[in-house]
Amino acid sequence: MFVYQKKLQYPVKIANTNPALAKFIIAQYGGPDGELGASLRYLSQRYSMPYPELKGLLTDIGTEELGHLEMIGAIVYQLTRNLSEEEIRKAGFSEYFVDHTTGVYPAVSGFPWTASYMQVKGDTIADLTEDMSAEQKARATYDNILRLSDDPDVNNAIRFLREREVVHFQRFGEALRLVTERQNQKNVYAVNPSFDR
Amino acid sequence: MDAVRINKTEDTKCSYKHGKLPECAPLAVSYVPVQQKNPPKYASEEALMRGTLFPGLDLPFMNTPNTTNPYAGTPLGELMALNFMVKELSLYLDTHPGDQEVFETLKSVIALAQEGEQKFTKRFGPVTVSGVAYSQSYDWISDPWPWENAERGVR
Repeated sequence: MFVYQKKLQYPVKIANTNPALAKFIIAQYGGPDGELGASLRYLSQRYSMPYPELKGLLTDIGTEELGHLEMIGAIVYQLTRNLSEEEIRKAGFSEYFVDHTTGVYPAVSGFPWTASYMQVKGDTIADLTEDMSAEQKARATYDNILRLSDDPDVNNAIRFLREREVVHFQRFGEALRLVTERQNQKNVYAVNPSFDR
Repeated sequence: MDAVRINKTEDTKCSYKHGKLPECAPLAVSYVPVQQKNPPKYASEEALMRGTLFPGLDLPFMNTPNTTNPYAGTPLGELMALNFMVKELSLYLDTHPGDQEVFETLKSVIALAQEGEQKFTKRFGPVTVSGVAYSQSYDWISDPWPWENAERGVR
């Protein structure tokens, strides 16, 4: 069960619209390493997790990622407020605009979000290793956004989101340690603790 | 730099920037060092601005952290900072459930966050739908919503 909190996790307060910037920030909404995939990955993987620490961690990080999805949505929304037709044309935003006007849709470069961006392997070590990789890919995407964006208001929120990826990577790494330390130390792959209980 | 050396914990030669690794580790799995118990923490508003409560995990791109937070010092900014501490401490405890000191810290921060949310709700309206218990009318739906660049309680 989820209860909505009517506030963002971190402020998103953007003074100037910039549809060209919105066009690539939306990658973190429904793109291959974006927040929608992150939340669905963790919230789906948790069912087969064998230990209480892992069920808790995947639930808590998956929930936080929904808050990040909302922050990215807020950034895209604020970057595309009150646009004139001329601004839309000049920013190269026309293609997106024809399909979605200034609504916020989980797609990047015309490709809608797909579950193929994530996996639920049902194997504890495989899933946690994917989660560590996913955090690194999201971190690298935020690095790239910081390289290309010169809007200080956007960058302030992006720096927060990027640092969260670092912290989540640490926690997934600790979770993987908890798992491997509970396995046979001569062969940590002897069984899959998600299935062979 | 000195802070790194000063903060050495007693049971290890490592600073808070370093964690524990097994001496003899099985091959063919990834290892992330486990963060040491009761690590140093930022104050709540600085933690929120930096995106982590823990200086040891604070690794900003190009070594350029945030130096401002648009809602710092506002009622909403303070509530966000307390809720963020709860989040960070609970993620830490998910993988360190035996750290009693941090558990006690979490309990005291939760008390502050609950008090803060109640005060905020009375002044600016509900944070969750249950907050309408303090309202005269059904103001759950009142503007602004969080994505609209004028959140409640920011001045």
